[in-house]
Amino acid sequence: MLFNSYEFIFVFFPATLLGFFLLGRRSRVLALRWLIAASLFFYTWWRPINVLLIAPSILVNFALARAIQKASAREAPRLARSLLIVGIAFNVAFLGYFKYVNFLVGAVDDVFGTNYVIAKVILPLGISFITFQKIAFLVDVSSRRVESFTLQDYCLFVLFFPQLIAGPIVHYREVMPQFQRANCSFDQNNVAIGLTLFAFGLCKKAFLADGISPLVGTIFGQAAAGEAVSLFSAWLAVVGFTLQLYFDFSGYTDMAIGIARCFGIRLPANFNSPLRSSSIIEFWLRWHITLTRFLTAYIYNPLTLWLTRRRLAKGLKGIGGNNTTLGGFLAVLAFPTLVTMSISGLWHGAGYTFIVWGLLHGAYLTINHWWHWVARGFRKNSAAYQRVMRPAGFVLTFAAVAVGMAYFRAPNMATAGNLLRGLFGLHGVSLPTSIIHKLGHVGLWLHQAGVSEGPADDTFRIMARWVAGLSLLAFFSPNTMQLLSRFEPALGFDTGAPDRAGSRPLLSWQASAAWAVLVGGATVLGVLHLGGVSEFLYWQF
Amino acid sequence: MTDDELLTLFTATLRDVLGDDSVALSMVTRRQDVPNWDSFAYINFIAAIEMRLKIRFAVADVESFENVGAIVRRSQALLADKSS
Repeated sequence: MLFNSYEFIFVFFPATLLGFFLLGRRSRVLALRWLIAASLFFYTWWRPINVLLIAPSILVNFALARAIQKASAREAPRLARSLLIVGIAFNVAFLGYFKYVNFLVGAVDDVFGTNYVIAKVILPLGISFITFQKIAFLVDVSSRRVESFTLQDYCLFVLFFPQLIAGPIVHYREVMPQFQRANCSFDQNNVAIGLTLFAFGLCKKAFLADGISPLVGTIFGQAAAGEAVSLFSAWLAVVGFTLQLYFDFSGYTDMAIGIARCFGIRLPANFNSPLRSSSIIEFWLRWHITLTRFLTAYIYNPLTLWLTRRRLAKGLKGIGGNNTTLGGFLAVLAFPTLVTMSISGLWHGAGYTFIVWGLLHGAYLTINHWWHWVARGFRKNSAAYQRVMRPAGFVLTFAAVAVGMAYFRAPNMATAGNLLRGLFGLHGVSLPTSIIHKLGHVGLWLHQAGVSEGPADDTFRIMARWVAGLSLLAFFSPNTMQLLSRFEPALGFDTGAPDRAGSRPLLSWQASAAWAVLVGGATVLGVLHLGGVSEFLYWQF
Repeated sequence: MTDDELLTLFTATLRDVLGDDSVALSMVTRRQDVPNWDSFAYINFIAAIEMRLKIRFAVADVESFENVGAIVRRSQALLADKSS
């Protein structure tokens, strides 16, 4: 079931919330069991067989976590470690089978010219998110960051429906204490804040992201059909898709955080206006924050630590300050960054395009770190440096992210390659006739400079307006978390300097008539656009 | 080793890692208090301490140290485990 569907908004969500509050009056345990049952129903709504996949996986993980906990308690670290490796392998194999078997068979066919055909494996919904969460739990149990848990706790942690399909990826230790403290009764503040987040999220997803989606699809479709997409159209496509994905995913996350808040649970923040970043490092600290957190803690840091230990044991230098060498930089920074981001790419989707997208971001991050290294002598905190580098970094970061999106959105490498040639002007530069005429002398000058007249194409004009409107919102408007920052909308959301200084942010939600009108408007816009074609971008996750 | 001896060793190690002799650590120093002590230099510092003290931190520990004092305390615990 999707959050942006009639059955969710008008039946499932209100019914689940009502049942939770009514049962919560009698007993907290009953209310939480109701939540588990509702979550299972939510998950199996689409394909009931999904329950046969997720239930055994939950039981195996629970049994392994218990065994790891017992081994740790008996001071048998080797056994605990072996069980952890078995657990991680089980989850990776589970994900691998459902997500990558088709891709791997196709890759074998590509390389060896064979023609193996297997029955199409259907991806269980949200499997990538669920798998990462389960792995994190096993690691946390083995490192004793999780001390006690029951089967009911574990089921609630894995299945809690707001975060089940598309995150945020949560840690047991950040949500379970909340469930244990929850009084499971109606709280008007939580419900008001939760519904406000839901309304803004729904509007972002159903109105904004789904609004630009067909236009983006048209240009990507032209590229997929082998048509030469010219410079401006190619940039409109990738910038349009960057904005679409941002409003789609951050909108869906706002809905998830809002729904959880209605039940009195705070989920971690996942987006913080990432498209305003002035470096790619900053971008990944603000885009899909809980994924970055997972990749850093469970892949990047262990790998870097292991590589550094090996390097030092050989008598070589690691990296740090003035003692960094090129060899150290490549071995301890570039290599683990590229490995981590390729895994991130594969996690996003099983295909060559996703691997290239991941590697591209790995390269971006490496270059960014390299710049920090070479520029360490500059006065980076000086106003003059910031005045030049912040806008330059912003443009460069946004362009780099948008170029990467050619691979993220394209159905295959040929389409991405075709679009990439367009982005670099290799398919020529053209503008619709009507625009060239409207520009008057400038249009004439452009024409003489080699800009050709494209077809009188409405897509271009409408798309340009959408991109301009969404850009204004993404770059200048406060994000949903900031609007509600006084009410701690999400765990780990830094409310920023204005609050710390005691003053209120420029725009701050409050229970007032004006805000009720605004939130009501967002809800109407979102609900009215539910019936349209909605692209569900998380299928492949 | 006493806490002060560990602090002296840590300061020397971080000076070596960063190539900066002006570094001075106390129990309450945090990473952001020391110029250029970024996440990479931090990992390098941890691995260098491990080599010098012949101990091994868990990855979970490495992520959760709030300040130098926490590293000193964990090092003391690991050194005590080793000698028992």
